[in-house]
Amino acid sequence: MSDVHLPAMRGGRPEGPGGAEHSHKPALMHLFWWFMFANGGGLAALVLPVHILVQGILGPLGIVLVVDQHRDTWTSILGNPIVKLYLLVLIALSFFHFAHRLRYLLVDFGVPAAKSTPAQVIFYGGAVVVTLVTVWILLTTVPMTLG
Amino acid sequence: MPPGWWLRKRHYFLYVVREFTALPMALWLLWLLYDIKSAGSAGFQPPRSIGFVVFSAVCLVFAMYHSYTFLKLAGVIIHLKVMDRTVPPRVIVLTMFGLWALASIVIGAVLIGFAR
Repeated sequence: MSDVHLPAMRGGRPEGPGGAEHSHKPALMHLFWWFMFANGGGLAALVLPVHILVQGILGPLGIVLVVDQHRDTWTSILGNPIVKLYLLVLIALSFFHFAHRLRYLLVDFGVPAAKSTPAQVIFYGGAVVVTLVTVWILLTTVPMTLG
Repeated sequence: MPPGWWLRKRHYFLYVVREFTALPMALWLLWLLYDIKSAGSAGFQPPRSIGFVVFSAVCLVFAMYHSYTFLKLAGVIIHLKVMDRTVPPRVIVLTMFGLWALASIVIGAVLIGFAR
């Protein structure tokens, strides 16, 4: 088992996302999935712990004031288009990363069905659904305001 | 592979833990999505229960492990050349950990600084 278990190595398999065996065409789908996996993992690694620490622990315990503890400050910051874009990118990219990791975790646990096309549709389709739901929530929850 | 292969060596176990980190992080982000949705509804309730804090603490442990393992891999994945000289992997890894610290400070400051 390799220590570096990433799509760059996994995707070479014919069953990998976008992986094409003996193909001379540019593996655009492989590039797309690699982009989503790597950037989702990187973004989650850089920013998710501080979100969890502040919004999930310090705020609810009352140690610090946090924007999402009060409706007015939360809706105020959520109205900012940059914040909406940031949240969309964070949630969407992260879920493509999670989908890929969890699917291959099932493969490693000996679930051959996780390699199948229906499994790919379920996992990556799930990430697409979460992305669409995020877009819908961000566009409908709090109106966008500049300033 | 036989069942329980991942329990036979510490290295395998840590590998599975690393891959599993995706699940608690996904659950926490789904909660964040719910928190965003509730901001615009009449049923807005800020998270203050001890159960939520415990859930977040568990997710934080997994998220930190994801950050540590993922950013440590940057030295293997990213290959940079500056002035025809290859940047040592150690420098790349240190830069990524520095970015992690910087991003944490900036986002933490925004989340706390904009609160009233």
